[in-house]
Amino acid sequence: MKKSLLAITLLASVFSIAAPITASAKDVTLLNVSYDPTRELYQDFNAAFSKYWQAKTGDKVTVKTSHGGSGKQARSIIDGLDADVATLALGYDVDQLYDKAKLIPKDWQKRLPHNSSPYTSTIVLLVRKGNPKGIKDWDDLVKPGVSVITPNPKTSGGARWNYLAAWAFAQKKYGGDEAKTKEFIGKLLKNVPVLDTGARGSTTTFVERGIGDVLIAWENEAFLAQKELGVGKFEIVVPSLSILAEPPVTVVDKFAKKHGNEQVAKAYLEYLYTEEGQEIAAKNYYRPISEAVAKKYESQFPKVSFVKIDEDFGGWQKAQKTHFSDGGTFDQIYQK
Amino acid sequence: MQFRFSKFATVLIASGIISLPLTASANDSSELEELRGLVQELSQQVKVLQRKGELNEEDAAAAKKATPVVKAGDTGFGIESADGKNSIKLGGLVQYDYRTFDQGANDVRNRSDARAGTLDTATGFHDANDTWLARRLRPNIQGTLFGKYDYRFQEEFAGGSASVVDAYVDGRFDPAFKVRVGKYKPYVGLERLQSGGDLKFIERSYVSNNILPNRDQGIAIYGDILGDKLNYAVGFNNGVVDGGNASTSSEFDNDKEITARLFATPFKDDANALSGLGFGVAATYTDATAEKNLNFTDTSAADGTRNGLPSYVTNGQQTFFRYSPAAIADGKRFRVAPQAYYYNGPFGLITEYARVSQDVSLSTGGSVAAGGAGGNNLSDATNRIVQGSRKKLSNDAWQIAATYLITGEDASFKGVKPKNNFDFDKGGWGAWELALRYSEMNIDSDTFKNSNGILARQASSGEASTLATTDAVILGTSFADPTYSAKKAKSWTAGINWYLNSNAKIVLNYEQTSFDGGNGAGPAFTGTTANTFNAASNRVKDRPDERALFARFQVGF
Repeated sequence: MKKSLLAITLLASVFSIAAPITASAKDVTLLNVSYDPTRELYQDFNAAFSKYWQAKTGDKVTVKTSHGGSGKQARSIIDGLDADVATLALGYDVDQLYDKAKLIPKDWQKRLPHNSSPYTSTIVLLVRKGNPKGIKDWDDLVKPGVSVITPNPKTSGGARWNYLAAWAFAQKKYGGDEAKTKEFIGKLLKNVPVLDTGARGSTTTFVERGIGDVLIAWENEAFLAQKELGVGKFEIVVPSLSILAEPPVTVVDKFAKKHGNEQVAKAYLEYLYTEEGQEIAAKNYYRPISEAVAKKYESQFPKVSFVKIDEDFGGWQKAQKTHFSDGGTFDQIYQK
Repeated sequence: MQFRFSKFATVLIASGIISLPLTASANDSSELEELRGLVQELSQQVKVLQRKGELNEEDAAAAKKATPVVKAGDTGFGIESADGKNSIKLGGLVQYDYRTFDQGANDVRNRSDARAGTLDTATGFHDANDTWLARRLRPNIQGTLFGKYDYRFQEEFAGGSASVVDAYVDGRFDPAFKVRVGKYKPYVGLERLQSGGDLKFIERSYVSNNILPNRDQGIAIYGDILGDKLNYAVGFNNGVVDGGNASTSSEFDNDKEITARLFATPFKDDANALSGLGFGVAATYTDATAEKNLNFTDTSAADGTRNGLPSYVTNGQQTFFRYSPAAIADGKRFRVAPQAYYYNGPFGLITEYARVSQDVSLSTGGSVAAGGAGGNNLSDATNRIVQGSRKKLSNDAWQIAATYLITGEDASFKGVKPKNNFDFDKGGWGAWELALRYSEMNIDSDTFKNSNGILARQASSGEASTLATTDAVILGTSFADPTYSAKKAKSWTAGINWYLNSNAKIVLNYEQTSFDGGNGAGPAFTGTTANTFNAASNRVKDRPDERALFARFQVGF
């Protein structure tokens, strides 16, 4: 009897101490390392997620973000920038986190729906009001006297999508003739006066510095420029052919585990797939993958004929090796 | 005709008048378009150039963040990664001394293997030598890896051979939890922990040189707690004899030495007269069996080690005490060292006491050269511990030293940064500091007594066989011969430090040391009478005073 009483007393003591600890709210800080033009998207999304997570768990989440050229951001994480999540411009850059540092599992892309891409985008052309150079399609970008703004594919994920979209157009135009395709891309690159390291840098060059006749841009970035950065000063030209960009997201397992943030990091990314997450993406001009939300915002996004990275370029690993690795087509053309 | 001509001319002129502006207008318009295009083109080119400039600046800023920083200054030369987490730094300390002795002996009396010097046949001492001396020639490499692992490697080229002074790695896991592994200064003596380049006198005191460990191999856990006001350290080391400096070879016995130290600076954050006060206490403990110590001469104290026991030197680095060849460390060794410093403006004070209690026995073994019977096995009949000979001998030393910077700089445990560097052209005279120290060392009286508790000298060669029984008892082996080794040394040191700048220093020290004993027998000091040090008769004479003038030229970075 006495032993039981003692045991109960002890247990009660333990629970009375443990219960407040278990129930007490935590302050959590999450680092999202992302690519250049997602600043506005994640500013809105982070606020929504923090509110959601606090309501659900009581924990206060502060999400810090870092933005830059997608390739540069991947290298930063590999070099030790301890991101809890990476939301980059293309799958190849996320693959590097496994290939170079084993920060994530090899099959990272299977962990979330839609190959871990909660939203998509495409590449469009942004011209100045009235389209003074009469730009209608990729053809017009290689004409003498047309100044084209696009970032450097060596550092920018967006630039790689731009390059591949133009490449796909030229391939189609010249019936797969690689020499002519390269000549086309060469002419286009000769019309580029400034190679920024990231997509946001190119937007700054075109919109704020007033350089160039046309900006090859993420669709979301073009919308942002047109509707928010320079209202009435720009027009979007949808080319006859573009590429479906699928920016992926992943938990950076090693760092999230180190910070004890695995659960909240996973929830953060999963929240991108919820209706609210998709709404925020759409409002920031990213194409939602949710059919319902896509339908709601149907009128916002022009219809575009797409090529796809997996079907038309053999996936990112192959595309990277062929076009952007040292000695790839970009180096061959740009160094001429 | 004239009319017609005039009319034609008028028409021509009129048409010219009319047509001229038209032509000019057309030309202006096209030129304007051309100019507008040119201006736009130039404007674009200027904007492109400006933007490229911006991008170059951004690239340069980014590159700067990742570019290693090369550092060259009065604290050394090195390279550091942009984030400061990885670095390597080259440093060095050069001390060149001139040492002259007005009077002094270079060893205990009657040393057969005395170092070169003139033998004073009347006293049996060899004179201490006047000499130029490379005291420290120490290049070092140190740095940090991954922001928390420090390393230091310091070599010594002075003394005729190269040796490793420091070789350790520090892990700074937390300010309150750091780990050091390798060869290092054990966290024991206050003055010993002061860098060799920051010393206020040319030589450390008896406390550091004769009792507390110099360097050892092992591991230390240390850190700062209570708001960095209390520093703690515990060590687990091979163990060294008094004043010993371990070599980097493996341990000679299995018995490790434990060290512990607490040092408080409770007012360090206050802006009052006590902010420069620090005090603490340290201790070491080991228990080594005699067998392991027999013939052990591998580690070096200030002037050699025999059978696991040290010899002791003066502040002028001349040996004044040696154990007899038969004495051997046999059991526990415990040291304790209370310590303190105080700095206030230009005034500095450091004081420290150390006491060592060492179990010592007599053996018949040990090397022939060292006076033993030969062999290394104390359990055999020839080489054995003399039963009942073990004693606990306690020696102690203390010092108090005061310094004053007459040029007004702040004194500190570390170096001095002159307000004005010495410079002929600009008229700076560097920093000048006066220093005064008293220190003394006391050897346990029992060290000089035989098993009957009588002050006993060693029998000279051939004397032993002729001794009467009574004499043999009185001359029975003691742990040290009072007619050779002094029992006490008392030193005054006066010094001037001239800091030319943060890196260069010139030091002048006058040292005077007096001794008790160590200088042969007095008139009645024979084997037939119980002797004392202090009796009017039957006394041991004192070793002559040591009077020395030392000068040092130092560069450190």
